[in-house]
Amino acid sequence: MKNKQGIGNDARKAWGVLSKAAIYALLIVVSYLFLEPIVTIISKTFMNAQDIVDPAVQWLPRSVSLTNLEVASKVLRLPHSLLNSIGFSSLLAFCQVVVSALTGYAFSRYQFRFKNFWFMMLLLAFILPLPVLMIPRLMMFTTAQEAMKISLIGTPIPQVLMAVLGQGTYSTVLILIFTNFFNMIPRVLDEAAMIDGANSAQVFFHVTVRLSISTILVVFLLSFVWNWNETYVTATLVRSSIELLPHKLNAFDSQFDSLVSAQGGGFRLNEAYKMAATLIAILPLVVLYIFVQKKFIQGIENAGITGE
Amino acid sequence: MANKNTRRNENLKGYAFMAPWILGFLAFTLFPFLATLYLSFSSVRATILGYEITWTGLENYHTAFLKNTEFVPALGEFLSMVLPNTFVILVVSFIIAYLLGRIKKGRGLFRTIYFLPVIIMSGPVMSQILSSSTAITGAQRPADVTQLFIYQIINNYSRPLASVFTGVFENISTILWFTGIPIVLFINALQKINPSMYEAARIDAANEWQILWKITLPQLKPVAQVAAIFTIVQLGISDHSTVYTLINTATGNLSGGLGYAATYAWVYSLLVMAVIGLAFLILRQPKGGGRTYEE
Repeated sequence: MKNKQGIGNDARKAWGVLSKAAIYALLIVVSYLFLEPIVTIISKTFMNAQDIVDPAVQWLPRSVSLTNLEVASKVLRLPHSLLNSIGFSSLLAFCQVVVSALTGYAFSRYQFRFKNFWFMMLLLAFILPLPVLMIPRLMMFTTAQEAMKISLIGTPIPQVLMAVLGQGTYSTVLILIFTNFFNMIPRVLDEAAMIDGANSAQVFFHVTVRLSISTILVVFLLSFVWNWNETYVTATLVRSSIELLPHKLNAFDSQFDSLVSAQGGGFRLNEAYKMAATLIAILPLVVLYIFVQKKFIQGIENAGITGE
Repeated sequence: MANKNTRRNENLKGYAFMAPWILGFLAFTLFPFLATLYLSFSSVRATILGYEITWTGLENYHTAFLKNTEFVPALGEFLSMVLPNTFVILVVSFIIAYLLGRIKKGRGLFRTIYFLPVIIMSGPVMSQILSSSTAITGAQRPADVTQLFIYQIINNYSRPLASVFTGVFENISTILWFTGIPIVLFINALQKINPSMYEAARIDAANEWQILWKITLPQLKPVAQVAAIFTIVQLGISDHSTVYTLINTATGNLSGGLGYAATYAWVYSLLVMAVIGLAFLILRQPKGGGRTYEE
């Protein structure tokens, strides 16, 4: 009797270990599929021109070469475009944080008329594909530029304007993150401050904002990354007037050719240069992610708490 | 009287906080949306004095659907890309989230890996990766799906279905890259399911498989809805979508293409919204079912 039970336990334990092992195996295979493109980028970055075309060399280069990185960073105009990208994305992220917090606060705290309608519009703004909006937006800005005799296209002004007014990259998601977070802050705190004589603006700035520093950081980071990766709106409105890292990567082939012909030839574009450029373009984001990955995940978790 | 006052107060304050967003929505979203509709019936010419817009009626639509040989196939291609890919992305991200819920060690590490693409994914990076994988490893892809017996069966049965299959398998890594956000949403939703429901089911002698289908999955519907919408929106503006690239080239062609571009964009957005509507309907809560969250 005792013995039999022991066997049953052992079998169950073995089954448990086995299923755990299967789960881990599956998750590792999936991880491989996720990382394969990145591993490819990294391994090609350090290959020389012969390794790239040699079918015997798949992952590990025969000899590590850094020339690809040097060439790619020259073509990408490195310190310059990197700093531009950081500045540009930070500026837009800052604008988006401010407007998203204000809008999220309105949705969380006030029962104003047509609130549900505006909430539907908020979701509509998310699902409308960008191309349908960009043609008139471009025409608006070019017309305004002609009328006011100032240059708008080619400057960050149009995108800053859109970000400040809550129509930037994935604004809806950022607003939902704030709304959901503000919903979790007890209203008792607002009321206590109001009894002490604070008005709505004071409650917002001195109570709510102070309690939301972590969420503000989350939204800032998400917005920073999304603006960094956003190329469609930027390509339409800024074009190539400001050198940004993703755009330099997009135009890598032609940039490379013009640089080579300026130097009198001798270089040929190959996969290794392109992969080195891709690595340079994603590296700042990867470094950021390594330090604050919990924040990003937390932000998406907050966006997912849905009421609609 | 006091009640009326507080209500006015709520309106005033609510709209004060909403004001920037509403202004932006009207100027940069609603107006452009309607303007595109108007432009889609016009011909737009860029001149030195500004844009010259003339009403041409259905001419653009006539050209887009009947004369242009690229547009209609591109729409079909978009549908045969977005529908299976959304399905695969949702299923895969659910499975990953479900499995992650069953292990303890290494969970954070796996989650970090699966979320990484969300951070680095952008148009240029994707196109570099896609071009490099077709340029070099095209010949030596690890698993050539067309060799599989099951694929041959499907191919004999229906060629379009088979091409959908190859599309999914050939781009599996880049499709997986879209699962980052759904995985996090699913993990979060799985953790929120009340454990006592599982216990009650176990007491009633339900096995894990039954629990998965009768308890876990129905409760995940609202989150699956959000994840599906997210996925469709992201796929719609990715380089995977041929219509998207078609519209981009038409927009770039300033000499006379803006009217056509508007027509393309308008038809495309109707299609995207129809797909989102479809996902919304499929994943909606059954009537009378409990809602998970209410203010």
